[in-house]
Amino acid sequence: MKSLSKVFALICVAMLLLAACGPAATEAPATQPPAQEPTMAATEAPATEAPATEAPATEAPAASGGCPLQVEDGATITFSGWGDETEQKIYRDSIDRFTALCSGVTVDYQPIPDKFQDKLKAQMAGGTAPDVFYVDDQLMNAFAPSGQLLALDDYMSQAGVSRDDFIPALLTIFTQDGKTYGLPKDWGTLGLVYLPEAFQAAGVDEPTDDWTWDDMRTAAKTIADAGTYGGFCMGADWARFAPFVFSNGGSFASEDNKTATLDTPEVKEMGTLVGDMYTEKSLVKPDDVGASWCGEAIGKKLVAMTTEGGWMVNFMKQTYPDVEWKAVQIPNGPKTRADIVFTNAIGVNAATKYPNAAAALALYITGEENQGDIVKTGFAYSTHPDQADLVQDPNDKAISSGGLLPDTKVAFWGPNTGKVNQAVSDALSRVFLGDQTVDEALAQAQTEAQAALSGQ
Amino acid sequence: MTTITKMEGKPAQSGRMLAAIVTFLLIFIVLMAIGLMNAPTMGGPKVMASAATYLAEVQRTALPFMGAVAILAIVLGLVYARAVYRVWPNHRRRQNMIMGYLFLSPYLLITLTFTVGVILFAFYISFTNYDIFTSPQWTGLSNYAKAFRGFSDPTQKDFIQSLYNVFWYSFIVVTVQTSLAILLAVLLNTPMKAKQFFRTIFYAPSVTSSVVITLIFMWLYLKTGFINFFLAKFFAVLGMHWQNINWLNDPRGLIQLIVTPFGVHIPSAQWYLKGPSITWMAVMFQNIFTTVPTFMLMFLAALQDVNPALYEAAAIDGANGWQQFRKITLPLLRPIILLVVVLGTIGTFQTFDQVYLATKGGPLGTSLTPAYIIFREALGYQGPIQMGYAAAMAFILAVLIFIFSYIQRRYISNETQLY
Repeated sequence: MKSLSKVFALICVAMLLLAACGPAATEAPATQPPAQEPTMAATEAPATEAPATEAPATEAPAASGGCPLQVEDGATITFSGWGDETEQKIYRDSIDRFTALCSGVTVDYQPIPDKFQDKLKAQMAGGTAPDVFYVDDQLMNAFAPSGQLLALDDYMSQAGVSRDDFIPALLTIFTQDGKTYGLPKDWGTLGLVYLPEAFQAAGVDEPTDDWTWDDMRTAAKTIADAGTYGGFCMGADWARFAPFVFSNGGSFASEDNKTATLDTPEVKEMGTLVGDMYTEKSLVKPDDVGASWCGEAIGKKLVAMTTEGGWMVNFMKQTYPDVEWKAVQIPNGPKTRADIVFTNAIGVNAATKYPNAAAALALYITGEENQGDIVKTGFAYSTHPDQADLVQDPNDKAISSGGLLPDTKVAFWGPNTGKVNQAVSDALSRVFLGDQTVDEALAQAQTEAQAALSGQ
Repeated sequence: MTTITKMEGKPAQSGRMLAAIVTFLLIFIVLMAIGLMNAPTMGGPKVMASAATYLAEVQRTALPFMGAVAILAIVLGLVYARAVYRVWPNHRRRQNMIMGYLFLSPYLLITLTFTVGVILFAFYISFTNYDIFTSPQWTGLSNYAKAFRGFSDPTQKDFIQSLYNVFWYSFIVVTVQTSLAILLAVLLNTPMKAKQFFRTIFYAPSVTSSVVITLIFMWLYLKTGFINFFLAKFFAVLGMHWQNINWLNDPRGLIQLIVTPFGVHIPSAQWYLKGPSITWMAVMFQNIFTTVPTFMLMFLAALQDVNPALYEAAAIDGANGWQQFRKITLPLLRPIILLVVVLGTIGTFQTFDQVYLATKGGPLGTSLTPAYIIFREALGYQGPIQMGYAAAMAFILAVLIFIFSYIQRRYISNETQLY
């Protein structure tokens, strides 16, 4: 009896230890809307379309004529990325197509769905990082300056791939000293997403592709004054403010990422527009109307308009299937029409044992053929401009068209990008709070961003 | 002690010497090995490829560190060799010493490698510029100066603001949680029905993971969440209107809220006059909810030791309940109050998980804590990885915690001596 209780106690202790060591499930999906992490959100392929992704795989070898590079025989490479089940499935399929093409290469796919960047930095420091992995701006800044990433230009020229094959804005982040350290694997952008019933209720014409920000403001004011719906939804978020600034010929920082440009008239003008809209109540924050992000506010039919990206398609399909919504291209600004793009790339570990095989995988995944297959799943946009037509969903197509505009940019300002963008978000917070005028808030943001750009 | 060993020191003179030398070498080798494992070199696949590349890198960059460890190892080795030399002739004490250290050794080695070694590493790193992938560059005290430059440069206020936040946090949380814990303990100590039931219920929040509690509170704190719902209902009963608050994203400060109705405007540049923000107080509330039961349990245990005869005597002398509590319970609980206050202060200074999960330091930096900034800079969330700067801030935090614990000990325990 006594020994039995001892055994029991031991088991209890062992279980506690195991429980303590196990990975904690900390991610609450609803609290992490795409609004906070404007990476390309995973969008699920409709079940009916799934077989279509398999079909081209069998035809591929004949069409393309083989592996992008001469690979090492018997090479085994590991590949890591984030992503949920859907994304993992899409990448498993891509890897299957790749191994069918490049015989002799084994790819060990090790997805890291949570805390990818933290884990990869630790792995890289310990020398156990995968050969091929996703690279975002944070990893690019952590790895590229100290030479942990393989420059891909030689491999690209061997495979006959040119930088011009990609949408130009996307390569900005992954280029350093003229060398390419990552190939864009997908991207996202913002479009004007709206709720048609709100426009009908207020008797306002629905947005069109040639709307300006002022048209948007007028409509938002009329709808908000009617009272049933909020006008335009926007949080204190640099990513949502960027299209305003870019379309007025402004930017957060100068071309060389040395000087902050947040106190220029271009930025102030658009800041004033946003601030005035908030004062006249035609602009609401998502939490003003009881949503955690603006996409949810559309789903809950709380607001008439917002700027969101391609992730809306599957978010609405899954969470609010009965709500009818539409999207048009991002509105025209005073000077030009410009949007913001978010992107991630595939990079190769500089210390890989099989550089050819690893580079071949990166080239294949981001190549036209594989990108074309991924677009058809509705998961992401192709990083090749000539494949823009492959986007299926009409709303998605309208949103994605903003990414190809000539003045569209990524919000990347060098090593301290995060701090610069944070300064913009904080300035918007202070304006919305009524703590500061637009000029005061932007003046403060300017000094903060300048300090960040000077590396302080 | 010395006299005893001298008396027995005649036999086995050579054995003593040998044992002392072996002890010295053993300690030296073990400490050097631990130092080697924690040597501040750059990481990365090229360095970590094999033992040889790692050693080459240690030789290239970490010789000063290894030198410091060697000096430490020699000093410790000599101290222990001396102890062994003295104890050796006494069979029983020799046996005790060997067995004692033998049993300790697994834990000792792990602690030395993964705690003490890492602390030494961090201390060295705090004087350098280190991004994991390049060799640490010695920069002297600049990291420590950098932490405090927020006093002169408002764009660098993060660490100063985090200290400001954490002082408020510590002050409010420790005060409230200690008072509540005493109150609950005293209540649960009175004879009542279903005492065990209430003890279990009250203790439940403490055994729940703080991650889980944070996630639950994030839902409660939503602008359309339960807390706003109940407050709205409550004020509606009183005939008043409740303006819903987004608890976890409202940077308005306590002092600001108090003075605003009087027409006083505190500009953003004077953030330090605003007091703890609504968000920060929401996190405080949640933290109090989690920690009160643990401390309640400590007080409850201490209350079991209070002699009931004291209360009887006081009652006979005509003392009422409040007087008994003031003059008997509180003074006798003083040592535990010290413990609870010190533990509470240390815990609140190191607040991390609630911030990491619920607020990420926002809004407008009003929920930044030193621990979160250390994490952010060490992992390079907003810019380059700055391990050295993060380590320097960690040591500043450690020193602050030490100072506060020391002051509290002086103040509270001095009076404890009387009882």
